[in-house]
Amino acid sequence: MYQYTEYDREFLQQRVAEFREQTARKLSGDLSEDEFKQLRLRNGLYEQRKAYMLRVAIPYGQLSSVQLKKLGHIARVYDKDYGHITTRQNIQYNWPKMEQVPDILQELADVDMHAIQTSGNCIRNTTSDPLAGAIADEIEDPRPWCELIRQWSTLHPEFNWLPRKFKIAVTGSLKDRAAVQVHDIGLRLIKNGQGETGFEVLVGGGLGRTPYIGQVINPFLPAKHLLTYLAAILRVYNLEGRRDNLYKARIKILVNAMGIDAFREKVEQHWQQAGDSDDSFTQADIDAIKAQFPAAPTLGTVAMHNTKGATDTPVAPVSAQQPDQMFSNPLFNQWYQANTREHRDSGRRIVYVSLKAPGQPAGDITSDQMDALADLADKFSLGEIRTTHEQNLVLAHVPGVDLFELWNELKSLKLATPNLGKLTDMIVCPGLDYCSLANAGTLEIYDQIYKHFDDLDYLHELGDISIKISGCMNACGHHHVGDIGILGVDKGGVEWYQLTIGGNAGNEASLGKRLGRAIAKHEVSQAIEQILETYIALRNPEESFHDAVHRVGTTPFKESVYATAA
Amino acid sequence: MPLLRNGQWVDNNPWVRLEDEDALPTNTAGDAPAVYSLARFLESEKSGQHTTSGVWLSSTDNVLELAGKLDHVQLIVIDFPVYTDGRGYTQARLLRTQLGFSGELRATGDVRPDQILFMARAGIDTFDFPERPDETLITDILSRFTVSYQPSYSLPIAG
Repeated sequence: MYQYTEYDREFLQQRVAEFREQTARKLSGDLSEDEFKQLRLRNGLYEQRKAYMLRVAIPYGQLSSVQLKKLGHIARVYDKDYGHITTRQNIQYNWPKMEQVPDILQELADVDMHAIQTSGNCIRNTTSDPLAGAIADEIEDPRPWCELIRQWSTLHPEFNWLPRKFKIAVTGSLKDRAAVQVHDIGLRLIKNGQGETGFEVLVGGGLGRTPYIGQVINPFLPAKHLLTYLAAILRVYNLEGRRDNLYKARIKILVNAMGIDAFREKVEQHWQQAGDSDDSFTQADIDAIKAQFPAAPTLGTVAMHNTKGATDTPVAPVSAQQPDQMFSNPLFNQWYQANTREHRDSGRRIVYVSLKAPGQPAGDITSDQMDALADLADKFSLGEIRTTHEQNLVLAHVPGVDLFELWNELKSLKLATPNLGKLTDMIVCPGLDYCSLANAGTLEIYDQIYKHFDDLDYLHELGDISIKISGCMNACGHHHVGDIGILGVDKGGVEWYQLTIGGNAGNEASLGKRLGRAIAKHEVSQAIEQILETYIALRNPEESFHDAVHRVGTTPFKESVYATAA
Repeated sequence: MPLLRNGQWVDNNPWVRLEDEDALPTNTAGDAPAVYSLARFLESEKSGQHTTSGVWLSSTDNVLELAGKLDHVQLIVIDFPVYTDGRGYTQARLLRTQLGFSGELRATGDVRPDQILFMARAGIDTFDFPERPDETLITDILSRFTVSYQPSYSLPIAG
């Protein structure tokens, strides 16, 4: 992963000193809360219902074991012993003291981390594929490009006071695991007919109150123009995006008001006129970053030789090479099937670490778990960990021969729940318990559903299905793009829940359709059961929930839910 | 109002903002130079009435309309109606890089100490503060960063 240079470190030290001085002015009364607010937001510090919340950036979801240990240390010393992984692959602490935040930022800077631009109306943390550099279906590793964007967008003098927040996602894979179609800018690495690398550029996607799927503004942007083109889009948005209404200020509203063709024309005009005067980069710049992301050493069958002493055995799938005890263990098997994926190197396996264990708030991880997981990453996965926008973690490079041992270790840490992609692997925003924007609780709904569907065999029979829960229409839980979306609404001080079905954040990106009137809190898990029973009854063999809904429409589901709940 | 120009405090500000309904000043020696709104400047520029002028930009003005018309412009004032409105940063940048404006670029309106580093990097060289800020703080802010990630947006000279 990217290693900080002295230049990066010097910059970060200066940023911490700046925030320390600003905090001192706030505490002495020289800086008003109104003015301090904008400064603290750009350093990740929010004010929540009961306390401040600090959101720390995990650029494109990449962490070293040293960094993860530091995150655990911060949770232990400055917070309540846990952190919460967000849908932007970041981590949040819910109880920091404002006067200690400069110290926390210094601790982060000591391990090359920060909280810059994790909130505020500026360019946020760029997100990406959590399987980057490990998955086979990749055109090119997106992480060097994410790092380039991170550097370029960090305290960009022109784009720090945008009409609204701005989110960029990059994928280098054919299968979209970065939800690029629901971002302000989505970037897909592609190759043209001449084999040159470029980006398909999407603009104007997003969830929130007015969800939109992004539209193609440029089908093939040569990679060398990436930053100048991004800057041209940002310029048009900065000048013309609405500033009169918070809810109409995102770029998606501008793009849809102007129409994609008129918007493109303006962007192209700015882009042509600007040339390379601002924000260009050299081949040497990107090459230097790329060199920081070497491929994992190939194991192939080598690792097998080490343990088994065999020679000249042909490369075979990992599963065929495991000791018997592994695959004769049904619990291991279940975890292997659900939580691991094929690595581009047949000697390795990608391992998901589920943060959706029974009785644990979704996406939360304790200090002790962080410490232990950092050690496991050192031992089994080249010292790196990734966060996912589904609020789980990934050990991307685990040697096949170590899987059984790793599984045992993860199990003892309660990090081996075999539910990746399954019904209980829900995305959940913090909701009314923490967030000052929320209209309704989400954590209770998560618990209710989790307890209702506690039969793992049933979940596995059901197959992959996503439930996404947001506590208000700002949609931080991405409910629009869940197979089943749950939106909390407030009606006269009572929490109600609006269901949508048929959403998708991947290649088949689509927005879920409303099922009908909102239902009461105690009815939610029963309604989910009705939806699932309907799906099981009408699905074709191997047919996904998404495909089934798009084949038959919402009516059968609607009838089933409201027949019971009425 | 106190002006900070290229890191130095200046007390002498001869420019007078001309409202659209005000009569044109007579161009006799000793008259204060005038700052016009963009619309009025473009109109008077057509008739070639004046030789020296300033232009006052609101945050909705399209600065590209000034292309090719900056020969006699010595001052451009960019208004920040509220400090969270970032349009002025792009206006400043377009003036400096695409229109090649090399005269004085002044920020006015809701100009606050913690904003001026970014303003300076976008090409603004003069700050018209609503009230005089602590001078040490200003020096600190302008000299705080010695490195940046956008080499084409140069760091300010701290005076």
